[in-house]
Amino acid sequence: MASSSSTIPAATAGDERDRKRKRAGGEEPETDDVAGRRRQEAPSRWRTRREHEIYSSKLLDALRLVRAGGGLPSAAREVRQAADRALAVAARGRSRWSRAVLVLASRSRARAHRVRLNSRAPAPQPQGRRPSTTDAPSSSGSSSSSAPALARKAQELGRLVPGCRKLPFPALLSEASDYIAALEMQVRAMAALAQALASVAPSPPSTSPSPS
Amino acid sequence: MTLLNQIQTVRSRSRQSGSSRITDEQISDLVSKLQDLLPEARLRGNDRVPSSRVLQETCSYIRSLHREVDDLSERLSELLATSDMSTAQAAVIRSLLM
Repeated sequence: MASSSSTIPAATAGDERDRKRKRAGGEEPETDDVAGRRRQEAPSRWRTRREHEIYSSKLLDALRLVRAGGGLPSAAREVRQAADRALAVAARGRSRWSRAVLVLASRSRARAHRVRLNSRAPAPQPQGRRPSTTDAPSSSGSSSSSAPALARKAQELGRLVPGCRKLPFPALLSEASDYIAALEMQVRAMAALAQALASVAPSPPSTSPSPS
Repeated sequence: MTLLNQIQTVRSRSRQSGSSRITDEQISDLVSKLQDLLPEARLRGNDRVPSSRVLQETCSYIRSLHREVDDLSERLSELLATSDMSTAQAAVIRSLLM
């Protein structure tokens, strides 16, 4: 293309941005980067194609490292843990639940490692599931403005979302909405991966002699 | 404004007023946003639902998502059990996912 234009009219500037987007295959164009990043902090970022692809790739890498137990009950748990870790990493440290997942993962790995090293000595139990960051104790009473039933439900929700047991109500709701959106993406990505694996599954390694 | 921004505003406002009390209106606003994320939201439309019900449904939705992830983990562990994946196979899978 030998077009020599000194001034780019608005229409073609928009085209160039679209071309960049298409070429990069879903990556954010440079000019919108800051605004895009701010938008991406909302739970809706888990619905974007970009996050889905990033996570799927990380998930595949993580699962290749899982010791294939060949259907052992622990294999499914290891797959689950790898998938959760990859999901927490994809959150890029922006949510409390993701940081808590990574802390728990590193703790249990350290514990398993210690157990392997000191097979005779009993493995020390790390105390509690308290997150290392300090929570604000003052505003935990704000939820008591409504009936205790609401407080009980909020407590239940805090138990379900990792690392959110002592959060004040509004922060808990925010974490929960981000967590739900992330879980939905995790389900979509794992289902797609299972389908892909099933379609390219190698046939069992039984060598059938060719008929003479 | 994103949900996170709203919450930060609520927190700073309550700190400025000298009380840590967050109003019911602000809470119900956040709850309705959460309600929109639930799968039943599409069926229900925009009808107001009591906050406790929204929290209840949120809890059961998260639990069902956990169950789905567990089932998928089970399935993936079986699919991966056959043999270690070669780099070429991984590339094929990756291209299927993109």
